[in-house]
Amino acid sequence: MALEREVKLREDETIVVFQPYGRRDIFKKGVNLLEAAKRLGVDISSICGGRGLCGKCKVKVIKGYEHLNPLQESEKKFLTGEEMKEGYRLACLAQSYAPFEAIIFVPERSRVGKQRLQTEGIEVPVKRLNPAIRKYFVKMKPPTLEDATYDDERVLRALAEQHGIVNVDFDWYTLRTLPKILRDANWEVTVVLWKNKIIAVEPGDTTSRCFGFACDIGSTKLAGFLMDLNTGKVVSVAARMNPQIPYGEDILTRLTYVLFNEWKGLEDLQKAVVGGINEMIDECCQKANVKPEEIYETVFVGNTAMMMYFLKIWPEYVAKAPYQPPRLSGVDLPAREIGVKSHPNANLYYLDTIGGWVGADNVANMVVTKLFESNELGMCIDVGTNTEIGIGCREMGGVLYSSCASGPAFEGMMIKYGMRAADGAIEKITIDPETLEPIYRVIGDVKPVGICGSGIVDIMAEMFKSGIIDWRGRFNTKLSEKTKRIRKGPDGIWEYVIAWKEETATKEHDIVFTHNDVREIQKAKAAIHTAASVLCKLHNVTEMDIKVLYVAGAFGNYLDPENTRTIGMYPEVPIERIKFIGNSAGTGARMALISIDEREYITRAIKEGKIKHYEISSYPKFYDEYLASTYIPHKDLNRYPITIELIKRLGTHPEIEEELRKQQTIK
Amino acid sequence: MSSREEVLNKLAEAVINGDTELAKSMAEEALKIGIEPWIAITQGLAAGMKVVGDKYEAKEYFLPEVLMSADAMYAGLDVLLPHLKAGEAGVRGKIVLGVVEGDIHDIGKNIVKAMLTAAGFEVIDAGRDVPVQKFVELVEKEGAHVLGMSTMMTPTLLSMKRVEEILRQRGLKERVKTIIGGGTVTDEYRERIGSDAYGKDAVEAVDKVKMLIQSILAAAELVKKE
Repeated sequence: MALEREVKLREDETIVVFQPYGRRDIFKKGVNLLEAAKRLGVDISSICGGRGLCGKCKVKVIKGYEHLNPLQESEKKFLTGEEMKEGYRLACLAQSYAPFEAIIFVPERSRVGKQRLQTEGIEVPVKRLNPAIRKYFVKMKPPTLEDATYDDERVLRALAEQHGIVNVDFDWYTLRTLPKILRDANWEVTVVLWKNKIIAVEPGDTTSRCFGFACDIGSTKLAGFLMDLNTGKVVSVAARMNPQIPYGEDILTRLTYVLFNEWKGLEDLQKAVVGGINEMIDECCQKANVKPEEIYETVFVGNTAMMMYFLKIWPEYVAKAPYQPPRLSGVDLPAREIGVKSHPNANLYYLDTIGGWVGADNVANMVVTKLFESNELGMCIDVGTNTEIGIGCREMGGVLYSSCASGPAFEGMMIKYGMRAADGAIEKITIDPETLEPIYRVIGDVKPVGICGSGIVDIMAEMFKSGIIDWRGRFNTKLSEKTKRIRKGPDGIWEYVIAWKEETATKEHDIVFTHNDVREIQKAKAAIHTAASVLCKLHNVTEMDIKVLYVAGAFGNYLDPENTRTIGMYPEVPIERIKFIGNSAGTGARMALISIDEREYITRAIKEGKIKHYEISSYPKFYDEYLASTYIPHKDLNRYPITIELIKRLGTHPEIEEELRKQQTIK
Repeated sequence: MSSREEVLNKLAEAVINGDTELAKSMAEEALKIGIEPWIAITQGLAAGMKVVGDKYEAKEYFLPEVLMSADAMYAGLDVLLPHLKAGEAGVRGKIVLGVVEGDIHDIGKNIVKAMLTAAGFEVIDAGRDVPVQKFVELVEKEGAHVLGMSTMMTPTLLSMKRVEEILRQRGLKERVKTIIGGGTVTDEYRERIGSDAYGKDAVEAVDKVKMLIQSILAAAELVKKE
């Protein structure tokens, strides 16, 4: 305390203290509390990136409340009357003008906790290890008056004589330092080739040290892999939240940021994501004892918007009909142009795009699944804020791809107690259909704070199976006579109590799933199902014709396949046909990094029209399909025979059985 | 022969349950037993729609139910409106409504339209993916009191800004008020582009439109007095 008293503040300065961490610092008056927390390394949960839209950054002001800016209109949406009385604010909308200090308490449920970021995908061996980067050690005789060829000629001759490598050439960048390196290294050097271009010459024999970096740029998450190009194996991995999130939680909001701020806005987004990527490269290199300069090629995948924000391409027109991306084929360029940490002359490769918002991440999915040349009809769903769906097989001439705006509900946004998959998140739930009591599992084996995507799917399915909600998503309010867990919440909205406050980490609030939450999930799952249905109809196939359903994406691996199907997120196919392929975008990027055959193969497939894009909103009956898909599992019950069997067995849905009779009499 | 009260209740019930057939037959029944069309609309169909709005706000009703109710209401209106005598409707105001250029998500707009119709407003539906210029033309041609625009998407927010700009340039803001809404629209955005109101959902949108129209009428009164 003595020390603080000695602090002399200038007129325009203030101190912000975060408890229980005890982190403090001096800031300019008017400092935003979320910004202050970030600068002090205090993790406060924020999904919307500080725009007052998600309500996840609640903090309690212990001292200095009267010196904060007034409570904003949008904060009132998220704070209960009680919270407002107790001095709660949303950190992202609160600014401190305290003459001395403001003390801020970060409640348990606003803390981030350790994120579970999925980086693994299924390992798919490439046919042969054939990276674009190759290294050759050569020894040369120093030039004499009798043998006075140019330096570059001498290296090329040695490559041909000692390794049989011909038809290669230097680029300007390497030539600059060549004369000095050759002589300093006493004419014993390692030549680094990218395809048939010499991109580096290094003193001595460095052939055992040859690395590449593959990265999946998701709108929400980044996953990076450092790979040994000599063995084709992953040596280390890293993951991060996408640092572009503060500019908007979805790609369209980020686009709006660019449109309002023009090139400066694009630069901000670009620098943010490259910053995150470079942090991952540093982390991977440290873990594996590799220097960033030993990375000679980097390969990236991501959706169309991510490509443009990352490669500094003007992104405006992909958002407007007819949604044309600027380029289809993969892009090669020097990594230094983008600012990616690697060898100064390293190559950067960004995989091909399919069309519309469907980008290189789904090309990577196709590298992995090879659906376009499969003998059996398959569907590939990559679930995220934007969900992409492809359907096809060889016989159909390839794969047709579409995307839909499923929204961030499965990421925990728009859901009252929603959170990302981090410590404290309820990830699994079952409800006893007799007693209506839940059993749940929490990530990190701690007390629960909220509920993440896989838990959200579970609670929807379990509430449906036990009859707590009907097929329209309406609460069966009569059950409130049977259990206290079903009740009308403070704002008159019905809710189900998952965890009583005594069981939770904060002990402050019951964790509930509200009628509003049910409606949000209905909208999200209907968007995905609609896209899947429309694609089936375009191909003139039914759900049962789908022989394999690949589910890729951030939280796919943690989803309960049956529950996901029960709520009608994807078409009803037998469980054994559903394959979770994890972060297969990352897998595809890795395959492309270690094999130029894979790159050429997929580029050819796209050029030949084997992987095509379809703009779903142009489908005439889009809205009828969407409305039918909001039902659980679906309005057209014939499309969910397995789920209907289950419902009949449970006997919890008289309304569905009645509808079945109706649908049968119509027949 | 059914009683007056019975028919009005059934009209409301038809809307609440989204029963198009019942709405039609009850509207015909109302005419047959001599209920004034205007009463059948306000105390029957619109009363039902009001209940639907409340249920929607309480999350009890979801998109499909509300749209079915809207269909039932329109079916009843189709029968009753031709029998309405001129001036009897007592229309409270004229509203041009549409989804902005580049966006086709019109479920929300259709719900707002139904609620506004039920509340006694005359709604000119401009449809979806409406070009900036078309909004302005419609407002001028129809002499609308209020222009309502919605969008679900973010890039299309800019279209709303453009409409506001043109309305201002042409000096139309004097006589037409604007209200915006939709998934990505916020009250902060409304302030930024200078719209007159923001409705966070269909129910709020109707309340705000009522307020806008009142302010227009009050202003007109003032002018008259002066």
